[in-house]
Amino acid sequence: MTLFNDSITIAKREMLVFKSNLRTNIIRSLMFPLIIILFFGNLGTSVSNVPVAIVNLANNQISNQFISTLQGQNIINIITLTNQETALSLLQNGEVTAIITITPSFPQNQNGNPSVYIYYSNSEFSTVSAILPFIESTASSFGSSVQQKQQQTAPIVSSNPTTGASSNYRDFIIASVIIMATAFGSIFGSGFSIIVDRQLGTIKSFLVAPINKDAILLGKLLAGTLQSLLYGILALCLGFLFGAGIAMGFVGFLWILALIFFVSLSFNAIALIVASRIKTVELYAIVAQAITLPTWFLSGAFFPSSSFPSFIQPFSIGDPLTYATSGIRDVMLSGYFPLNHIITDFSIMIIFSFIIVLMSFRLFKSTID
Amino acid sequence: MNDYAVVIKDIKKVFGTFQAVKGISFNIKKGEIFGILGPNGAGKTTTLNMILGLLKPTSGSITIEGYDNVKNSIKVKQLLGFMTQETVVDGYLKARDNLEIFARLYHVPENEIEKRVNKALEDANLKEFADKPAGTFSGGMQRRLNLVKSMLQEPSILILDEPTTGLDVQSRVGMWDSIKKLNDKGITVILTTQYLEESDALCDRIAIIDHGEIKAIGTASELKRMVSEGNILEITLKPEDIEKAKKIMTSKFNLEISTRGDIIRSNIEKDSMGLSIKIAQYLEKEKINVLAYSVHLPTMDDVFIKLTGASFRDDTSSENIASKARFRR
Repeated sequence: MTLFNDSITIAKREMLVFKSNLRTNIIRSLMFPLIIILFFGNLGTSVSNVPVAIVNLANNQISNQFISTLQGQNIINIITLTNQETALSLLQNGEVTAIITITPSFPQNQNGNPSVYIYYSNSEFSTVSAILPFIESTASSFGSSVQQKQQQTAPIVSSNPTTGASSNYRDFIIASVIIMATAFGSIFGSGFSIIVDRQLGTIKSFLVAPINKDAILLGKLLAGTLQSLLYGILALCLGFLFGAGIAMGFVGFLWILALIFFVSLSFNAIALIVASRIKTVELYAIVAQAITLPTWFLSGAFFPSSSFPSFIQPFSIGDPLTYATSGIRDVMLSGYFPLNHIITDFSIMIIFSFIIVLMSFRLFKSTID
Repeated sequence: MNDYAVVIKDIKKVFGTFQAVKGISFNIKKGEIFGILGPNGAGKTTTLNMILGLLKPTSGSITIEGYDNVKNSIKVKQLLGFMTQETVVDGYLKARDNLEIFARLYHVPENEIEKRVNKALEDANLKEFADKPAGTFSGGMQRRLNLVKSMLQEPSILILDEPTTGLDVQSRVGMWDSIKKLNDKGITVILTTQYLEESDALCDRIAIIDHGEIKAIGTASELKRMVSEGNILEITLKPEDIEKAKKIMTSKFNLEISTRGDIIRSNIEKDSMGLSIKIAQYLEKEKINVLAYSVHLPTMDDVFIKLTGASFRDDTSSENIASKARFRR
């Protein structure tokens, strides 16, 4: 019981320090998410005059109508009507972003195959995903459907980002921004706090007090978890501000809270273990980046981890943030309940947090020398 | 046994290959101000850290108010008030919050916390600054806050690690007064210091420690007597008279002398008063113009030079070796 009370006292002290720097802390935690949402979140969201080539194999009246409807809006700019071979070489040279191929049977689907094909280079996925809904809706108003085809041209950057869900890149990236705010807030917040406390002698004055050493760890862990949970929630609100939503509604929000709680808990524990063994802020800053950046990128922050090269795949699978990110994406992007995903994501996060917190009791070094 | 607040038996501390403390034993009586004096890197802070239970002695034992400080560490910590060498206040927190947190960590009963915090603020003369962030305080104010913070749990022993290092003269005298007042209330005070005059002015007994060993222990006058049974004679002269005066002192009075600038110093063991009057009369007869003439007991400075073979060493030597040894470990 005393251990619990002492931990609360330490946590209270941490929260008072946090509160006295509240504005700086919040600005710091929101700056990076804001920049990422502004820069990457708007990729392909408001495109106009995207250069495309059209290969009209049907060449009937209705296909010409389809083409002029496409041209009517300013979303795509039809550069040329040509044959498939020329179009592909244009795509290859980067002169067009995509090729729309109208099959001879247009508007009827042939043997169940769609009558409109879109070819695009992997490097243009974000632009294509922005114009795709327009092409699809236009085609379906003519009673046709569209098939996407990725063209292995230019350097492969990525595959289609919209992992099965209908959304844009901004919604996709907000999940990883929430994770980033939480994980980075944990590693930098708790880590720097313990190093500064040791340098100023606060740790020493805690150790001289008649309290269990574990109370220092628990208090810091508790306060750190609360703080980074707050950062995660703020990043989510930032996402709302930019138009993201949670497809699963309020239940989804609770899932997100639970997931970022486990990220906060485990990453604060990691920060405390590592920082308790490092003497200077400068060295810790390097180590902290070496922890946060790879785990974040490997989690499929900017594109699905399935599109990593095969030698990176195992690292991505071993990265706990992968599961937290995919869990948040599931509840934000899909309206349905992907139960098997959620079970995997949650059990991995719970087990990981549990192990790391247990380890922190053994590995947290509270000595002063 | 019960007269002692602290009993230290042959403690040693080894960091890797560096022996920071090489077998120290001493007792501290209840109610005294006990000074640990030594140059940087002598082992003062290591000794304190062992008393505080921050470091475990490699061998030996420390008993505080009858409790072994390793076996009963929580109980012992409750009895000890400690003020660190660095001024530890949470600069971002209000003075009141600083105190309240430590009152809680020292398990002051809930209904007493407010009363004690207010009392502490009053004692530190910080009542009107109670709700200001401690970081805005001057060095002296922070030190005062730190001192009352270490007294919140009403300890019976107060340990101060270099309490006045870095303070201006006025704050230093103020700190001495506060320490004396606490001691008058019956609190045993243990302090380390680098300042000879501080140990002289404040401490009932002093242990001089160097290279991890106790060189001497006793009251200031006992220690001074170790240097000389008699007095130190210092004569300040005009430069042109120095040679002549030296000759008189050595040949006529048969004294060993040393000179520093325009001051001639000599240690007079027997009948120092009678002899120094004779010297003064003789010098006047010889028409030597004496600018200043003083006879005094040996100072702590004299004690220190005699015991450690040198004046205070600078920061560079042993402290750094000690910390490097710790790094390697």
